[in-house]
Amino acid sequence: MDLSQALLLFIVLAPGVVFSVISLLWLVGWVPKERVLSATTGIVFAASIFALAAISWNVGAAPVVIKFRDWFAVGQYDFPLVLMADRLSVPFLGMTVVLSGLIGQFSATYLHRDGGFLRFYLLLHLFAFGSLLAFAAASFDLLIGGWEVVGITSVLLIAFFQQRPAPVENALRVFTIYRASDIGLLLVVFAMHQWAGTASFAGRFPQLTGAQAAVAGLLLLFAAAGKAAQIPFSGWLPRAMEGPTPSSAIFYGGISIHAGPYLLLRAQPLLAHSGMASALVIVIGVLTAIHGTIVGRATADAKTSLAYASLTQVGVIFVEIGIGWTWVAVIHTVGHATGRTLQFLRAPSMLHDYHQMHSAAGGELAPTGKHLDSLFPERFQLWLYRWALDRGHLDTVLDRLVVDPLVRLSRVFAKLDGIAFGDIRSRREEAAISLQAGSGVRGD
Amino acid sequence: MADPRLVLTVIAISMPWSAGIFSAVIQRKVRAVGFSASLISLIASALMLDGALPAESLSAALMVLFSSLTLGAIVVLPRRDCNLRIVGGILFLLGSTLLGYSTGNLLVLLAAWILTTVPFYLSRLFRALWRPRVSLFVSSVALALAISVIAASSHSLTIHRLSGDSPGGIAAFALLVIAVIFRKGICPAHAWVADAIDGGPVIPSALLLNGHFGALLVAKLIVPVFPDTVRNFFPVLSDLALATALYVAIRSLSENAPRRLIAFLALSQSACILAGLESRTTEGITGALVHWIVVSVSTMGLFTVLRLLEVRFGENLTASTHLGLAEHAPRLAVFFLIFGLALVGLPGTLSFCSQDLLIHGTLQSHPQTGLLLPIAIAMNAVSFFRLFTRLFLGKRRTGFTIVADALPREQWILAAGVLFVVLGGLFPNGIVAPRLAEAEATRPAAHAPMRPAAMQP
Repeated sequence: MDLSQALLLFIVLAPGVVFSVISLLWLVGWVPKERVLSATTGIVFAASIFALAAISWNVGAAPVVIKFRDWFAVGQYDFPLVLMADRLSVPFLGMTVVLSGLIGQFSATYLHRDGGFLRFYLLLHLFAFGSLLAFAAASFDLLIGGWEVVGITSVLLIAFFQQRPAPVENALRVFTIYRASDIGLLLVVFAMHQWAGTASFAGRFPQLTGAQAAVAGLLLLFAAAGKAAQIPFSGWLPRAMEGPTPSSAIFYGGISIHAGPYLLLRAQPLLAHSGMASALVIVIGVLTAIHGTIVGRATADAKTSLAYASLTQVGVIFVEIGIGWTWVAVIHTVGHATGRTLQFLRAPSMLHDYHQMHSAAGGELAPTGKHLDSLFPERFQLWLYRWALDRGHLDTVLDRLVVDPLVRLSRVFAKLDGIAFGDIRSRREEAAISLQAGSGVRGD
Repeated sequence: MADPRLVLTVIAISMPWSAGIFSAVIQRKVRAVGFSASLISLIASALMLDGALPAESLSAALMVLFSSLTLGAIVVLPRRDCNLRIVGGILFLLGSTLLGYSTGNLLVLLAAWILTTVPFYLSRLFRALWRPRVSLFVSSVALALAISVIAASSHSLTIHRLSGDSPGGIAAFALLVIAVIFRKGICPAHAWVADAIDGGPVIPSALLLNGHFGALLVAKLIVPVFPDTVRNFFPVLSDLALATALYVAIRSLSENAPRRLIAFLALSQSACILAGLESRTTEGITGALVHWIVVSVSTMGLFTVLRLLEVRFGENLTASTHLGLAEHAPRLAVFFLIFGLALVGLPGTLSFCSQDLLIHGTLQSHPQTGLLLPIAIAMNAVSFFRLFTRLFLGKRRTGFTIVADALPREQWILAAGVLFVVLGGLFPNGIVAPRLAEAEATRPAAHAPMRPAAMQP
């Protein structure tokens, strides 16, 4: 293993090791001080930034690849454990270590003496590990691992303020969307193994026929749309704003929301092979961008407004990917992620910033959007406003078409099963009321 | 000199039974006696596993797994559950289950099958509700009839001698499938599993479920002994198992009783084991055997944490509202989360590997029905996360006089379980490779041509 390989390994593993060691020690009784956590975070990500700088110095010539033994191999199926830093992954790896380090430092003050300080830092490290693994993976098999870790940390941070029911319920909603869309990624890995014998893209991308590329492209688009909150999954993004501001910044301004575009960028050879999949990527991107810009204008709070602005830009990035402008999409992603993270971090000071701007402009800030008003008749504007207020009815449609029928079916099954157990169930439900009142404690 | 393997087997099986009787006589220190007996069983099983040939290690591996689960359960049992009735029943269950795992004789297997169910009929032990009792009884009768038919058409009751012979033909096969359906809780006989957990003692009932005797019958008897029938008719059982996984996953979406909800998750995930065993692919069978281990450890972890919560906060927990228990028991919350996510395939845990293999195996052999598997797993994940958020997140409750997170003995045992599923996930080859050898040993038998009558023993 040469120096570049060792550095790449360090970058990917360091946050995972920090997470594992601290959480294991906590499980057996140790509680680290805030200063220890923030200092560890600073050191790890600073070292990672230097390590990545050293790697990227050489990446122009050839990608850095580390091949381990198969994670496991059974029959014809193997799970390759290969990490790769190439010209596509290095910008994403850089984005991850820089923004994670930044958020780590910002949160030391922002979450000082918060009850969830330790939880936040542990999840930040786990998230960074998941992202780095997804971006450095040289196969879709391994990419899924990082992808799902990003998903679970994301929902646990949405439920960060666990005392209130709204963040908790919203976390459940986001988790549901993530798990549903991840099925696409699971199936594409299976399909690639079946059709091409591998899901690895270290070196040569798996060779598929036109029809196979179309199916794989659509499955990947399904997964990417879920993670990047593209239509029809956009409804989860404003719900995710329940988390603390630093996590909203890094997840939905910075890294997590750009994991979808990364997946499609990785699958660019496949999209290039299927006009239908590329066209659908463009259509979804356009629709999401329009949806985001209209709904964003009707939102009442700063973070949700920024979330929809983020959604609009990611929609545009999807369009760039669908057209095949790979490098435009990469540059757009990096620029957008860093700029939007800053905006999110400044969101709690937004009024202060506004007053400063207002004073600097001499007490006159020109209103924006008037030109749009003049384009549409008033009745249409009113309809559009209602549509935007309900966030494009996307959640309502998903509820009516998927959630409600499933829950109804579940209740039918419950009736089929539970005739003889109504007594037990009702007894428990009644007893639950006493628990809510805070009584009924029995010790070990 | 006696065969050391036989000696170890006898020690592993007889020690828990003897300890159960000893506890009944002295009527004190039941946890210490139970711990010692299950530890001896574990050591004996581990020695057997150490000396077993790679292709024959399944029985010993299962014995190690079940002894470990029992050992952990006895250590972690809440004080109010740690009485002669519960510990004695668990030890009886351990001995009977190890007997079933270790035997190659059909009559002994039948005896073990029945003995494991006995505590659930006795009012002095864990008397279950009517549906578990009826289902276990039907499965026992079906197995007894199947063995009678096999005995009538063959001169041997030793499994390896019957291998590939299909004794008793379709009648014996059908009876065995009925036994599996009722024991494993496959649709339409699935409802008893949740009832057993809901209406009986949680930890012993979880141990009964995690014996996975239905899957054992498939792996040990049906696949090797009925290869041709398996090829033609077994996909029906596999489809039923996948349908069960999906049905129960949907069913759990509206379930609010934590015990029943975890039972449904356990049932849905363990139904995948049958689908994998039937897939007739190396990936599917290996995935099923690894999944067997993961489901056992994770569900035992979940049921244990739930029971620990029940003794602290009352047996009236519900998922219909946010209870905010993480504020009172943060470590139990983390253990619960990790075991639950390990059950539904979180990357970095062993179930990620097992489900990866299972999905590949089942999709390869049944592309249409195999699609149900990832959908069922995704729904289970949602149901589990809903349960976690409702139990542990939400506003902190006031009025609890005792705030108790995991006690040291609970912490260490649960941490050991978490380490197993996590380290197993990070370094899966230590667990996957032996299962591959066992899967290879099972798979060719499923495809072996019928031997001419003259060659049969």
